[in-house]
Amino acid sequence: MDKKNSECHVIVVTSGKGGVGKTTTVANVSTSLAKMGYRVAVMDLDIGLKKLDLILGLENRVIYDIVQVIEGECTLKQALVRDKRFPELHMLPAAQTRNKDEITPEQVKDLCSQMRPDFDFVLIDCPAGIEQGFRNAIAAADQALVVTNPEVSAVRDADRIIGMLESAGFQDIKLIVNRIRPDMVRHGDMLSIEDLIEHLCIDLLGVVPEDRNVVVSTNRGEPIILNDRSSAALAFNNIARRIIGEEVEFPTFQDDSFWDRLRGLGRNLFSGR
Amino acid sequence: MLDFIKKIYTRDESSSRNQANNRLRVVLSHDRLNLTPETLNSLKEDIIVVIANHLDIDGSPEVRLITEGRNTALDISIPVKGR
Repeated sequence: MDKKNSECHVIVVTSGKGGVGKTTTVANVSTSLAKMGYRVAVMDLDIGLKKLDLILGLENRVIYDIVQVIEGECTLKQALVRDKRFPELHMLPAAQTRNKDEITPEQVKDLCSQMRPDFDFVLIDCPAGIEQGFRNAIAAADQALVVTNPEVSAVRDADRIIGMLESAGFQDIKLIVNRIRPDMVRHGDMLSIEDLIEHLCIDLLGVVPEDRNVVVSTNRGEPIILNDRSSAALAFNNIARRIIGEEVEFPTFQDDSFWDRLRGLGRNLFSGR
Repeated sequence: MLDFIKKIYTRDESSSRNQANNRLRVVLSHDRLNLTPETLNSLKEDIIVVIANHLDIDGSPEVRLITEGRNTALDISIPVKGR
């Protein structure tokens, strides 16, 4: 993908259910894209319950918010927070003391068209739910990423969201499965990736395994993608690479039972690595 | 429905993963149509009554939901008596 002349992609990250990892996905995928040199803006539309600034570690740099931009109290440029660690990454913060129905889908569309010329990607962090906040978040997007967890309640909500995205005319809807535990799947105690695809019938963009490192990174306000020993980091980087059109194989997650790991260790020792 | 019952008995039903899959199959097909199991049942009965008003039904009629991808169809199979 040509960084300079390609058109901007506006991607909404949504899920229906709360707590499945939308904001973590937005934060890490956008950081990964910015690290590769793409000009990225993230837009937090969870007005009243903002989290993206905190997950990205940018909470102390916020001056203005999206509602102030829309109401003309400041310019878009003034409100965009630039991440010093990743100069290509910019965040438009949500307002914390306002309401989701204080902005309209048209206003979000308008903001996005102002941002399109300056960015390769705009990622929109959609609030949980199917009400006004959801409608605002999907209004300007060209593609949608649906994040779900391998559990019945998250899958049911994801299915409802996919139905709503389809009725809104979305052609490009892809699935991200977050917090999967391959050991539990193998023991028949968790829905597998294949199960989820069978139920939801959309293309898979990424699989993020459960990883304690995510909690640690979130505590510190650092992106997980910088941790090269984290399996979640690899997964988020792979998602970013698939978004820019690279073919990246899906890991099979076969190697993480105790015995498999021991076997893998033996192999590595004897092959002299 | 028959397929559904078959599925239940041919798989290892005790695993929680299979239970989740079976529960999701039912819930999602009803969610997508905004249809409760009771409504589906009374729909079945109504369809059979309408057909029976015009034709003689032979054997056991079947009315069920089938899904292909994200699309759901009503599969109606009603054998009728010839002259």
